[in-house]
Amino acid sequence: MRISTVTIYEQSVSSMNRQQGDFMQVGQQIATGRRVVNPSDDPQAAAQAVATSQAIGITEQYTDSRVAARNSLSQEESVLSSVGDAIAKAKTLIVQGVNGTLSDTDRASVATELEGILETLVGQANATDGNGRFLFGGFSDNSTPFVDDGAGNISYVGDTNNREQRIDASRLMPVSDHGEAVFLSVQNGAGYLAEADMGNTGEAVFTGPLIVDPTDPQFGDSFQVDFVDVAGTMHYSIDGGAPVPYEDGASIEMGGLSLKLEGLPANGDSIQVGPAENMNTDLFATLNKALTALRTSQVDNADTAAFRNSMSTVMRELDNSLDNVLTVQASVGARLNELDVVDGVAENRMLSYRNNLSDLIDLDYTEAISEYSLRQIGLQAAQKSFVDINGMSLFNFLK
Amino acid sequence: MSILSTGVSGLSAAQLALTTTSNNISNVYTPGYNRELTLLEDSRTGAGTEVTGIQRQFDYFTATQLNQANAQLKSLESYEVQINQIDDLLADREAGLAPLMQNFFSALSDLAAAPSDPAARQGVIGTANTLSAQFRSMGDYFDDMQQGINTQIKSEITQINNTADLIAKLNSEIAIARARTGAEPNSLLNRRDQLVAELSERVDVKVYIQDGGAYNVSIGNGQPLVSGSESYQLVAIDSSLEPYKTVVGYEDSAGNVLELQESLFEGGKLGGLMSFRSETLDEVENKVGQLAVSLAMEFNAQHMAGLDIDGDPGQAFFDIDDPVTFASSRNAGSAGFSAVFDDVSQLAGIDYELRVSDATAGEFEVIPGDGSPGFTVTLDGSNQLNVGGVTLTLDDPALLVDGDRFSLLPTRQVASSLDTLIQDGSLVAAGQVGGSGDNLNALALQDLQNSAVVGGDATLSQGYAAIVGDVGNRANIVQVNLAAQSGVTAQIRTLQQSQSGVNMDEEAANLIRYQQYYQANAKVIEVGATVLDTLLGMRA
Repeated sequence: MRISTVTIYEQSVSSMNRQQGDFMQVGQQIATGRRVVNPSDDPQAAAQAVATSQAIGITEQYTDSRVAARNSLSQEESVLSSVGDAIAKAKTLIVQGVNGTLSDTDRASVATELEGILETLVGQANATDGNGRFLFGGFSDNSTPFVDDGAGNISYVGDTNNREQRIDASRLMPVSDHGEAVFLSVQNGAGYLAEADMGNTGEAVFTGPLIVDPTDPQFGDSFQVDFVDVAGTMHYSIDGGAPVPYEDGASIEMGGLSLKLEGLPANGDSIQVGPAENMNTDLFATLNKALTALRTSQVDNADTAAFRNSMSTVMRELDNSLDNVLTVQASVGARLNELDVVDGVAENRMLSYRNNLSDLIDLDYTEAISEYSLRQIGLQAAQKSFVDINGMSLFNFLK
Repeated sequence: MSILSTGVSGLSAAQLALTTTSNNISNVYTPGYNRELTLLEDSRTGAGTEVTGIQRQFDYFTATQLNQANAQLKSLESYEVQINQIDDLLADREAGLAPLMQNFFSALSDLAAAPSDPAARQGVIGTANTLSAQFRSMGDYFDDMQQGINTQIKSEITQINNTADLIAKLNSEIAIARARTGAEPNSLLNRRDQLVAELSERVDVKVYIQDGGAYNVSIGNGQPLVSGSESYQLVAIDSSLEPYKTVVGYEDSAGNVLELQESLFEGGKLGGLMSFRSETLDEVENKVGQLAVSLAMEFNAQHMAGLDIDGDPGQAFFDIDDPVTFASSRNAGSAGFSAVFDDVSQLAGIDYELRVSDATAGEFEVIPGDGSPGFTVTLDGSNQLNVGGVTLTLDDPALLVDGDRFSLLPTRQVASSLDTLIQDGSLVAAGQVGGSGDNLNALALQDLQNSAVVGGDATLSQGYAAIVGDVGNRANIVQVNLAAQSGVTAQIRTLQQSQSGVNMDEEAANLIRYQQYYQANAKVIEVGATVLDTLLGMRA
């Protein structure tokens, strides 16, 4: 076939162009370290790389979120730990205060010490994080959640929301516990409380209540025990039922519970019995009740009976409050553990995402560099052949 | 016939052959030049030789094949130049939409961790500003590309008109030259064939050779562009349904302008530009617009369900334009639609054409742009239609005329309008129930990242990945097709060149040959003269 001179020239040039283009492409890959520079280099890989980069981004985002969550929960845990210590200390003081050998003055000094604990607890309940936000205010974290009415009564003005954070794709974790759940609550099934009426004038002191028959149909109900004088003999009635003669030192049974009573009640006295969650659950009210009792001077047996009943109730309430705080603390600890576990999982996931991304778009340097040399040789060969072919002309021999 | 005249005929033939050879040599690199051969015959009137013509080595069939191959090559080349711009635009992983969306949602996550922190609130606004700026910049880039294509189409049309004019002029010049000399006007023919080749690089044309040898050139559906010595004009006009696009209009002899469908143009630079515009640019613009609308509408809805730091209901966070709709400039009636986004999950990122099938009943035939089956919709009591997640409101049904056409481009050109409305951190609606620590809405906003908000079946990131994959695929296909077409074209070009191209070695050989031929004939004359001298000398 005839080959025109233009064809020879064009083909050499286009061959050089092609070689040069390939050479540049490998050069660009080496310079960027990426096999896929433009989406068109490998559309599937480019699209997957977007998804994988997003997965990496989200994983990092959740990691940041866990840092914040860990921060909040650690602060809460440390406060809860102090709160638990304070309640335990309060319990020790109550035990000291109940001691029958103490005088009014001794009890007053116990009260002073207990008041210090109460103040500590209020302080802890109003603890703030590094940014001045209240830990136990629920969503209302910019105002003091536990306020004193001036007379020493503490009330909760926060709300009952717990802030949550997304710490992983499928996990929304509460990173705070509101004040009501920590300081004004007891766990369900915390047991039973008995509390003597403030106006009682008799000398009856209760012990218990004890659970004797959890299968009783009325088990779990609240009861009121009223004492009435029927024709000169002390009787008691449960929830306004038929009066039953009172026996000193015997136990009263109701709804599977048994309440032991010693001493003679007065006509009109009453005792409330019920599940802890239906009775007072406010830690601060409990402590205030203890303070009032400790500071009341004991003149007669009735005073002593009222004091002992009150302290007995306070003790049980403090037990329940401590249980509650410890439970919340355990749940915070569990959440902190969970954060560690999720961190570990996320790290593995991150590693696999990064490997995946690298497989998708990163360059195999060994391969690329050998390709680079190959292309260089190809380009040089094309250049050489261009020079050779164009140097060959019959005109060279026409002299 | 004497030996002398025989020698002279050879001498002049040799001279002509040398002229032809030198002409070939001098035109070796001239585009459109076809190699010439000196045709010799032994003289019909006696001894000696005769030059019967200088023949142009031109094969019409091969030339037409090469023109068609070149038309496809140029189409793919211009397509590639355009699509590579989008390919490059999406190649930047650091500044692309994906990492900016990620930053935005990370900022929302920070907000959920510290809802009352002014820095976290400002972080959300800052990343939203960057994200919406990137959407705008991408949208602007597409708008610029549309403008660039309009300009190129206009320039192509001017060039096509000029070329058509020249072909028409050459048709008549060639006819005159033939009539005058009886010989083939080779250089005029070369020039005309070269013009047809240039025209094929710009647009699909069909060439018919008339009896007289004139080239008749037609375009599109067979509209004549050159007919003998007449040429007709193409004009750049605004598309009737998408007026921001320049399309090709054909002006007939009565002066009426006919809008030529884009689908009629496949080959040449013009075809490449139009295919790119309808297949890739519109589509990518629609899809990016769909991302922007999905983000803006879904985010706004959730944001407005929340409460800001003062406990007031959240306001719209992002601003985005309404969908674009046009009434055809060729409608008989003058009714018009206005459009608003309705159900974002119904948005499909495609265009629609609405044709009035029954004006009195308010009935429209809807033709989706992706080729899916059409359907019929009817105006409701408040003159509204719902099409593809958009509510269209007709201004006046009385102005509808059967056959009127409307276009609905729900997500075209909206990306460039995305903006962040909220610039005051305290207005970010992080909460739902109130309280400085309330992060419920921040969590809900953050969840949008993993919700199928794009067309109801993809997350924002998946939507973006689909665009990247789609553009990558198209660019890849164009590159592969271009490489294949380059090979095919090079082969045909080699074939055409083997017939019509000049080979310098061959011409060098011819030079030697014809030089010797000339010398031999000169010798013949010398011998003739010697013979004559001998004869004359005998008498003396």
